[in-house]
Amino acid sequence: MTARLRKARRIDGLSLFGLMTLGILLFLGIFGPLLPLGDPTRIAARPRLDAPSLQFPFGTDELGRDFLPRVVQGIRATFLLSAIAVAITAMIGTLLGLMAGYLGRTTDQAIARGADILFAFPALVAGLLVAAVIGPGQVSAIAVISIATLPLFIRVVRSVTLGVAGRGFVTAAEVAGASALRVMLVHLLPNVMGAVMVQLTYALSIGMIIESALSFLGLGVQPPDASLGSLLRQGSGYLTIAPWMVLSAGVVLSLAIMSVNLVGDAVRDALEPLKGRPLT
Amino acid sequence: MRLVAYLLPRIAAALITLFGVSLLVFLSLRLLPGGYADILLGPFVTPEARAIIAQRYGLDQPLAVQYLRWTGAMLGGDFGVSMVTQRPVIAEFLRRAPVTLQLALIALGVALAVGYPLGVLSGVRAGARRKKRDFGRVVGAMGASVPDFVLGSVLIFVFSVWSLWFRVGGYVPFTTDPVGNIRSMLLPGLTLSVFGVALILRTTRDAVLRVMTEPHVTTAVARGASPGTIIRHHILRNAAIPVVTVTATYFGFLLGGAVIVEVLFSIPGVGLYTFNGLLNRDYAIVQAGVLLAAVVFITINMLADILYALIDPRVGAVR
Repeated sequence: MTARLRKARRIDGLSLFGLMTLGILLFLGIFGPLLPLGDPTRIAARPRLDAPSLQFPFGTDELGRDFLPRVVQGIRATFLLSAIAVAITAMIGTLLGLMAGYLGRTTDQAIARGADILFAFPALVAGLLVAAVIGPGQVSAIAVISIATLPLFIRVVRSVTLGVAGRGFVTAAEVAGASALRVMLVHLLPNVMGAVMVQLTYALSIGMIIESALSFLGLGVQPPDASLGSLLRQGSGYLTIAPWMVLSAGVVLSLAIMSVNLVGDAVRDALEPLKGRPLT
Repeated sequence: MRLVAYLLPRIAAALITLFGVSLLVFLSLRLLPGGYADILLGPFVTPEARAIIAQRYGLDQPLAVQYLRWTGAMLGGDFGVSMVTQRPVIAEFLRRAPVTLQLALIALGVALAVGYPLGVLSGVRAGARRKKRDFGRVVGAMGASVPDFVLGSVLIFVFSVWSLWFRVGGYVPFTTDPVGNIRSMLLPGLTLSVFGVALILRTTRDAVLRVMTEPHVTTAVARGASPGTIIRHHILRNAAIPVVTVTATYFGFLLGGAVIVEVLFSIPGVGLYTFNGLLNRDYAIVQAGVLLAAVVFITINMLADILYALIDPRVGAVR
């Protein structure tokens, strides 16, 4: 996997743009609280709903809070929530996918049906149900992201496992007396990691979309915490008189999702190259 | 015979999925904090009143009995009564379904009309000898990355400052004012379609790229067939299957209720209704909304399975 990644050293402009944007956003997200940007929750005696200026590049909100540190805080929350949810989901999904693909029969049927059941709920409609049961908040956002992305991991890992399970080295391990668990974790897992990596980036971007959508509806991150979605919700109340709130949070959110998608595309192109051919 | 052997297991799987979905929704609503009596009567309730409620709604029965009664009622078309209006929930959903259907059809139409040709073009171009700028990747990356509520908010801002011809909010039924209806539905439809354009574009591009490396295309090239003929006769139909899958999934999600866009543009469809049901703690509406969305989704995907078998004679064939 790493060898193939190294071979694809030539990187095109679009992927580079994605990688750099992702790097900047992650830097802001991780080190945001340490940067001298000001307190995102400090309500000061300053102009409210002030247009962007040198002092406040993203303007101020309806309580006179500087909007720039709030956006930085939002980046952190959006990335973090999505990453936590996707990390948990990827582990569970990979394990279930391996079991479905390798153990087969009843296990496979049960897991595949389970994935179908989860897949049948449109993400935001499932979000409404989860919000009804456990109440709005970060936990329900994580749960909804997991419901939406778990079937993706299960399906991809299962299909890759099916392709690998019949190969010689797996049979050799079985003959040598390896337990099913050992075969799955030692022999099959490394072979599905590439596909998991590709899904991981896509799931991360889906997770960010779902998190911000839920927060936009008021079902995700609750004030005074901020995520990019809840900032959009806050700004949409003042859309016509203070459009910079929606615009700054919206542009940053779109850039964040796009950078993850572009990096995902680059990883996929490196691991599973799709070569076209000329028709003349 | 081929069709029957192919479809029977799929229909069985769809039924099992439906069963699982209903069980999941049933159980999750039993977990509601406080239980039904508290929701109905409030926190200050005597045990006697609670017992009467439990008896009236069958909550004192075993869970399995409750589940069977619950599904039995829904199969008979009874999805419960709204606590706020005391009217049957299913009637309210049916009244709003055409609005969501119209929105979904606009979005799907735009997504297919733009995404499919662009995807084919981008896929063919990506293989060309002389590298041109790959607009397919750019459009695909942008479309999949701008969330609908960001795009919708920007559109609302732009078109409420300069009205132009579109109308922001102010939905009117098609039957009373066709032009006004289109004016109010186009913006939300376009907003919803952007993700679909990207989705269909990327899927089509990948499918075309994959088919282009197959031997039968090489044969056609060797025979000296023109690029147009090769694309039309040898690539499009072979590349259709993943596109049908993705289109069905996308359409199923759209019909389940485009919650965000309906809320944003105040479109009185099923998504907005379900969302308002949640805000009012009117759980019969939430339950029906989730169930109906899942049922529609499963049905659409089964129709897509049937469509494959019609497009591709190899599907389900005995090998």
